[in-house]
Amino acid sequence: MSLSIALTKGRLQKQTIAMLEECGYGVESVKNPGRALVFQDSNKDINYFLVKSHDCITYVEHGVADIGVVGKDTLLEGGKDYYEMLDLEIGKCKFIVATYKGEDIFSKVGHIKIGTKYPSVAQNYFLSKGLDVEIIKIDGSVELAPILGLCDGIVDIMETGTTLKENGLVVLDTVCDISARVIVNKAAFKLKKQEVMAVLNDLERIVKQNASRN
Amino acid sequence: MNQIQLPLGMRDLILEECERKRMLQHKLENVFESYGYKEIMTPCIEFHNLYQTAFGTLEDEEIFKFFDQEGKILSLRTDMTVPIARVCATKFNTKEGPFRFRYSSNVYKVRQSFGGKRSEVMDCGIECIGLDSSCDIEVLNLAILVMEEIGAKYTLEIGNTNFFKSACKALQMDKESTARLADLIDRKSMVELKQFVQKLKLSPNAKEFFIQLPWMTGGQEALDMARELSFSTSLLEEVNKLQKLYNDLQALGYKDVITFDLGKVPHLDYYTGIIFGGYVEGVGVSVLSGGRYDKLLSKFGRDLPAIGFSVKIDYCIDVVKCEEKKTVKIYYPKNRMVEALQKANELRKECTVELIEAMCAEVEVA
Repeated sequence: MSLSIALTKGRLQKQTIAMLEECGYGVESVKNPGRALVFQDSNKDINYFLVKSHDCITYVEHGVADIGVVGKDTLLEGGKDYYEMLDLEIGKCKFIVATYKGEDIFSKVGHIKIGTKYPSVAQNYFLSKGLDVEIIKIDGSVELAPILGLCDGIVDIMETGTTLKENGLVVLDTVCDISARVIVNKAAFKLKKQEVMAVLNDLERIVKQNASRN
Repeated sequence: MNQIQLPLGMRDLILEECERKRMLQHKLENVFESYGYKEIMTPCIEFHNLYQTAFGTLEDEEIFKFFDQEGKILSLRTDMTVPIARVCATKFNTKEGPFRFRYSSNVYKVRQSFGGKRSEVMDCGIECIGLDSSCDIEVLNLAILVMEEIGAKYTLEIGNTNFFKSACKALQMDKESTARLADLIDRKSMVELKQFVQKLKLSPNAKEFFIQLPWMTGGQEALDMARELSFSTSLLEEVNKLQKLYNDLQALGYKDVITFDLGKVPHLDYYTGIIFGGYVEGVGVSVLSGGRYDKLLSKFGRDLPAIGFSVKIDYCIDVVKCEEKKTVKIYYPKNRMVEALQKANELRKECTVELIEAMCAEVEVA
């Protein structure tokens, strides 16, 4: 039976496709996508499509895609109606809490405001710390918000930490680690188990291979 | 502005969609009827308390709520099992069981904005109340017949919440860890599951058991794997019960449509035994779901074991095929209308007839 795989555009795109290629899949067309949106595997009965991270979850939840590759950051913020079956160990980074140098939100008395692109992640983190904070949703350049006084601190993704440092922000705590995950539509796991397992096993082999290389 | 929009998650069904839906509904109702299930209708609106009593923990955001004149909280029913349990406990209290009830009713859930999911769907199902797990096979058999009626390639997947529960019991696991573990296993969240299990103080055998639980899926191989990784006699007993069930279902000729998933462990407080779901090709979610819930009735004051399932008919509309119905047209001149009506009445015993006034000399059938 034919499979559909939704790949997340952007940060994860190149590495994901490289892994599929190592599995021996025919992903040449996805490598040079041009304006096309759907790509047929040249070896296997698989369709790929490139989508934005949040849409990846939506496509998988509806069963339009059987499998999706998407960052844990997006999964933490979105729905939960899928199986999360494999860590590809690519696109690794962290969710962190940071503030303007010299501030400590954890000991602040009074109302605390947190700016973030990830309201659920921030909310859950502070609740687990026993803190009731106000979350302010920000769409880009989150580092700017505490500098301009919009909020006391931020929850954001950190890869290297350079951006934070350059803006005079310091990391107070790590919320959790992030990497790319393989999610599977629940019904597809029942109805196309063999095909889905083949892809999972192939990718897992590459994950192990990559791990032993490093 | 004119109000032309539907509330979130609501849909209009038109023409063939209605036809396909009603056809499937009638087919299922006939199957239920042939098993001796009798229909129950309950109101759409219940006290919110009903669901609180039934579930203990409940996902409150999913329930449509409003108030009555006295300020009491009302809700739109989110399922039919709880209302039927209420009816059975309160309106049949002088009757001896077992009770076999069926229903076809709309149920309601609040959905996430713009997720493309339905807030209103029709549940068509049965509840078998007063019989213990020895009747599981009868209900599974019925569920398979129902899946057959949908008419697409399908799988019925069976799990057993007792398998997971007896593992936790044998290890004396606390309630919080059990709940977290169940959630991770049920969502097959393999990465977090591994991290969480490693942190628990368990023997290597037990750790391996929980990490492998989500992979205990498939046919005979799922049961073999479960047997191999079982670390107590109570676990083996549960596997043996499933094996017996599998043997019986195979004897009935259902080997190819049955699979197992022992990592299916949702709503642990609610389900008390087997649990099952039906999947059809072309639909991305389960269309049939059910299980054993032996504790629910006692919450309404009558201690009876029970099992049931329902089909979300609306999810199947796109895969159901309608039989072509014959339609004939009768053309008639204005002055021969009575004759045309007579002819039409006669023909309508066999097919659909459309009457059309036309510029012709005679009544013509086409």
